[in-house]
Amino acid sequence: MFRTRSLVALLLLALAGLLAALGREGQREATRGRGSDRAGGKVERCVTCHVRPEEDQGGAHARAAVGCSSCHLGNELAFDKARAHAGMEPEPGALRTVSRTCGRAGCHVREARRVSTSLMARASGIVSVNRWVFGEIPEPRGTATMAETLAKADPSPAERHLGKLCAGCHLHTLRENRDDAIHGNGSGCASCHVARKLPGAVPRPHPAIDARVTDDRCLGCHSRSGRIALTYEGLHEVEKDQAGACGDAATTLHDGRPACRAEADVHRLAGLSCIDCHLHTDLMGDGRAWEHSEEQVEITCEACHGPARGGSEGKETTWSEVTDPISRDLLRQRGETRPPDERVRLGRRGTPLWNLRPSGAGWVTLRKGQGVALATKQTPIDPNHVLPGHERLTCSSCHAAWAPTCSTCHTRYESDGRQWDFARSAETAGRWVETSDGYTARPPALAVRADGRIAPAVPGMVMDLDATAAGGPKGSRRLYSSFDPHSTGKKARACESCHLSSWALGLGTGTLSLTGSRPAFRPATPAPDEPRMASDAWTHLDAEHPGVGTRVGLRSLDAKELRRTLAVGACVSCHKDARDPVWKDFEASNARLAIGRTRCAFSTKG
Amino acid sequence: MILGRLTYGLLLVAVLSGLALAPFWSAARPLESLETLNGATPWGFWLRGVHALSSWGFLLGTLAHLVEVLSKKTDGRLSPGVWWRSVALLPVSILALLGGFLMRGDAEAQAALAVWREVSASIPVVGRALAALLLGVPGSDLAPVALHHAGTFTLLAWLLTAEHGKTLAPDLRSTVLAALGSFAAAGLLPVSLGPAIAPAGALLLGPWYLLGLQGALLHLPVTAGWLLPLFLLAVVGLVRHVDGRWRTTLLAVAAAWSAGYLAFTVRLLLAAR
Repeated sequence: MFRTRSLVALLLLALAGLLAALGREGQREATRGRGSDRAGGKVERCVTCHVRPEEDQGGAHARAAVGCSSCHLGNELAFDKARAHAGMEPEPGALRTVSRTCGRAGCHVREARRVSTSLMARASGIVSVNRWVFGEIPEPRGTATMAETLAKADPSPAERHLGKLCAGCHLHTLRENRDDAIHGNGSGCASCHVARKLPGAVPRPHPAIDARVTDDRCLGCHSRSGRIALTYEGLHEVEKDQAGACGDAATTLHDGRPACRAEADVHRLAGLSCIDCHLHTDLMGDGRAWEHSEEQVEITCEACHGPARGGSEGKETTWSEVTDPISRDLLRQRGETRPPDERVRLGRRGTPLWNLRPSGAGWVTLRKGQGVALATKQTPIDPNHVLPGHERLTCSSCHAAWAPTCSTCHTRYESDGRQWDFARSAETAGRWVETSDGYTARPPALAVRADGRIAPAVPGMVMDLDATAAGGPKGSRRLYSSFDPHSTGKKARACESCHLSSWALGLGTGTLSLTGSRPAFRPATPAPDEPRMASDAWTHLDAEHPGVGTRVGLRSLDAKELRRTLAVGACVSCHKDARDPVWKDFEASNARLAIGRTRCAFSTKG
Repeated sequence: MILGRLTYGLLLVAVLSGLALAPFWSAARPLESLETLNGATPWGFWLRGVHALSSWGFLLGTLAHLVEVLSKKTDGRLSPGVWWRSVALLPVSILALLGGFLMRGDAEAQAALAVWREVSASIPVVGRALAALLLGVPGSDLAPVALHHAGTFTLLAWLLTAEHGKTLAPDLRSTVLAALGSFAAAGLLPVSLGPAIAPAGALLLGPWYLLGLQGALLHLPVTAGWLLPLFLLAVVGLVRHVDGRWRTTLLAVAAAWSAGYLAFTVRLLLAAR
């Protein structure tokens, strides 16, 4: 049956096969790692090759404790490099795979879930405000996330604007899909918990992972938009042609933008980092899908410094009542304990401030990075803090020293340009161009929030928008935004800074006169569409309706509030002291003046 | 027939190489043990290749021999009982090979195990018990699969082949040729493992000889997983009992079935790309 010729041919073929196998066997033996194949009590063949000391970051995530695949995925059973690296996650914690890396069972499940629903991941506030400004939704609120927006096959003009200008900061955007503004940051947990890779830095085999997030990691994203991270450091961005005006205060930001030095936040001067004030729920969320950052943030000034007027904020309990598991885990990881009967202050939704501890009659704040205790002064119950008429003021209304301000924003779409598109991870046709006449740093204006309280505000979008080339609207918007600028000064702003400042009252830049029968204001540069109004104003003295803000219910002072504030302004030049009897009951004082029972020296002189 | 004898030789090579592999495989840690065999055991990858390729050769040989028998109309030489049992060799071989595929324990094998469990369980009355018997209960290790791979189906395949060939063992020359062919193929065509974890969004492929069925199951109810093969076996089995136009019709049906199977295979492969 089988011929000898066939047998010889097969023998030759078998020999060729065996030679090929011999070559493969030699290669296998030569390339196989020689290290241990176990880590963290399980088979982990990554460490047969990855044996260099610099590949081990030590600490809680040491190679011997967790191996490589716990964070980096891949195939920990394989000896072969290609098979071992298949399906690897180069950036553990990236939200696309976080449930299998940092958020895997037995590790940081709870934190990963919270971060995924937090505003850093969802960015729903940015999405809704942007779409509202473009006239695509009726209110500046909504639950649509940035990831959903970027995934749209046929995005609206506002969504294209988001995809090209705003999407780089939210955590779902992959690290490699980033422009130069936020280089080095990750697309998930690593954004905050892995040290930033600065341009030009020596590459490290394995960066350190740290729960003690340093401020430079916050700066990557928060040096944009409201620029709170810059303000906190005492830096304000300027346009290139403005840098010279800063003189010796001129400097350059981490990414090359020109800036000027200004007064840093008093907490920064005391050595406090972002994480020393901000609670874990502020940063990583609490599992609920908040629409705007001010809803997610729990920390308040009153939580540390106590209420000025015995308000509801600044709640206290004892550690025996604390149920928040993350705060307890944080303490345990740091090897710290709290006696059950020790008092603890709480954030707005009850998260404990575990680094604020009672000390004698007062409180001390522990700097989380260094463990240094700083005495934390409590708000004094003095005339300045219980001044009648100021009940609605938030702390930052008076204590925010300055805010970065830009009231000449021009945004247009150029269809013939090209720009990076975060939705496509590539440069695509069409470009949004933003220009301004420059930024300034000045005391913030005052706004009335939806809850009725007065808070700092800046021109959020006093702007001309021309999105016609993208199929969007053309027009101008006059919107202010309210936020804490993070420029807290030890001293509050002076009475005149609000009561005699057209800027603070939202009237814009111009000349305010209180000498006539009623206040008058002459704009420095009248708005084209309303000559009574300054071009950078939010409202004017005769406005029927107050100016609108970037949140539902946020507004400028209305005409009545303006008149009332300016009426006080007429007196503050002389009656500077809060203990002055005139302030005990200002309306009664005015009444006495009106019927001649008392005299105003100013008016007599004047 | 030469093809039949060579196929028998391949079965012997598959059995012997399987016996050599057995000490290296762990039912509780299948993928880990195979990665060790492939990556850390001298000549382990080659031995595994010999086993896999001789098994595939056995299946291909069985199929080719069936086509040869049908085309030469030599099926009539077998008694009806031997014919039907010879036809049964085809599903028995596939079940033996499928067991080997499942024993890999990688993502593809795990997916195939889940699918096969569903298909088995869809057989009326005995389905669930049969699935548990052949594949074990969900969550258990792969010991039942290994038992039927190395025991039940291999023994059955051997017995059916021996009865069909009227000899208990293949002749030496066939065995040597089968061994040399397998050794050559194992050196030239390394047999890889699948991914440890299914890549997100990827379509995992089952064993190559069942891709047509996998493709069909994307569109048909799960019972098609056993009804379609049973239909083909019935058609092929009945060929022995008819002549003339009926024989031609049955062969045409079998050919159409095979063409459809091939089409589903190609379609699935294109979808996986």
